Amino acid sequence: MKNDNVRPDDLKWRCCQCQSDLVVGQVAVTYMNNRFTTDLPHCPVCKTVMITEAVAMGKMAEVEQILEDK
Amino acid sequence: MIDARDTESLCPVCLARIPARRVVRESGVTLEKTCPEHGVFSALIWEGVPEFSTWQRPKIPTSPPHIGHPVARGCPFDCGLCPDHRQRSCTIILEITHRCNLDCPVCYADARGMDGDDPPLSTIENWYAAARRAGAGSNIQLSGGEPTVRDDLPRIVAMGRQAGFGFIQINTNGLRLARDSRYIRELKAAGLSSVFLQFDGTDDVIYNKLRGRDLLADKLAAIDACAKNHIGIVMVPTLVPGVNDHDIGNILRLAVDRSPSVRSVHFQPVSYFGRFPHPPADRDRLTLPQLMRCIETQSAGRFKASDFTPPGCENALCSFSASFLVMRDKNVRKVGGTGAGSCCPAPVNAEIGAATAIASVARQWAAPPPESTGPEPACNSCDCTTHGSMSLDGFLQRARTHLLSVSAMAFQDVWNLDLERARDCCIHVMAPDTRLVPFCLYNLTSSSGERLYRP
Repeated sequence: MKNDNVRPDDLKWRCCQCQSDLVVGQVAVTYMNNRFTTDLPHCPVCKTVMITEAVAMGKMAEVEQILEDK
Repeated sequence: MIDARDTESLCPVCLARIPARRVVRESGVTLEKTCPEHGVFSALIWEGVPEFSTWQRPKIPTSPPHIGHPVARGCPFDCGLCPDHRQRSCTIILEITHRCNLDCPVCYADARGMDGDDPPLSTIENWYAAARRAGAGSNIQLSGGEPTVRDDLPRIVAMGRQAGFGFIQINTNGLRLARDSRYIRELKAAGLSSVFLQFDGTDDVIYNKLRGRDLLADKLAAIDACAKNHIGIVMVPTLVPGVNDHDIGNILRLAVDRSPSVRSVHFQPVSYFGRFPHPPADRDRLTLPQLMRCIETQSAGRFKASDFTPPGCENALCSFSASFLVMRDKNVRKVGGTGAGSCCPAPVNAEIGAATAIASVARQWAAPPPESTGPEPACNSCDCTTHGSMSLDGFLQRARTHLLSVSAMAFQDVWNLDLERARDCCIHVMAPDTRLVPFCLYNLTSSSGERLYRP
């Protein structure tokens, strides 16, 4: 596992469009004009990224809180 | 004339409420008003980029959760808050003394001398209870006078924490913090979150002009003492044109050097109420756009005017702010939105804006969490460049501790008072009788020194 964004169960998912197993690799995320890179599960064919609830409610929520203007 | 909008203000001489207009010309935006008895008045309120027309963040108003005074004579004479107010409190200021250990030529509170009685603890306890009723969840600032002249300040901080307030700040000149290590330890133990440190510049020439004596060594010692005790530091320069507006870049450099102990620089362009040398001309004012441009020029572009956004809590014309990530090499990188420039932004809910501001201030103005002792994150560029993509983990690890907020608030005095802005105010002083009064109105004085609210 490359980082704590990905749990073993996450890789049991398959892409519904391509029927491919997900792989873990670097993806780019943009929020409020800030670009980040991180390792997340994604489809190797169509590149659709899976963001689990744990990542959405954890690191991404924290980033959102830091970036949002008061 | 390009445009003009109606509002209301007060006559600087007799404090009568009179119609006023924000008049937009090529040369700038002025607040213009005529008193039938005392004539015509004009004050510069905006000049240059970012353009006045782009500096917007409209709000859907919210009513105060607790009405402290009914509408009787109309704004600004019914503060309490009254039902016509359009924002809740985000910060409630308690003035716990009128004494001060300095005698500054400029003082909005007109505080002076060490004589006089302070409000007893029982009174302050009542104020906290009233603050809970009128503004539950607000941040608290203990002010004065100089709050550190009270030996029982740690007790007052502890009372506030026991009353349920999670963020308590003192507004101080820092003299006692610089010299009394036991006192600052007691303040930390009592639950003090943050110090709003008057910090007018990096040169004693400035302190001599504004405060009447050398103070830089004390200010730096106060910063060191707060850092040692893990108390968040907000450097607060009162900016006076011709006195310290050339030192803005140096102040920012010092803040970056002292990050993460220094959490914020909060500029306050001088307002002409309380005690000041003479009535203001336009050259005596520093408008928000002028200040944004000074920040960019004097920081050689490290902080850009376009980085700043109008507030989501108070009126857009009252303040600006932005957050910056301080890198290991002391470069800074703007984080967050894109600044002003949108022609017609959608209105935001004022209540949500207040909640966001309360949480953001409490988080950013307090001491940072302890730095991670784990391994360096796999970080491609977050600490190396001021642009480009960042590793998410690297960004988070750095941003948890090394965000620096740069902001400013333009207070209003009797010459540039715009009552529309006053009704949107979220920074409220608790009067001795527990009524809440917007900060500018509480401190407002006429040209002859007559007070609107301050006892």
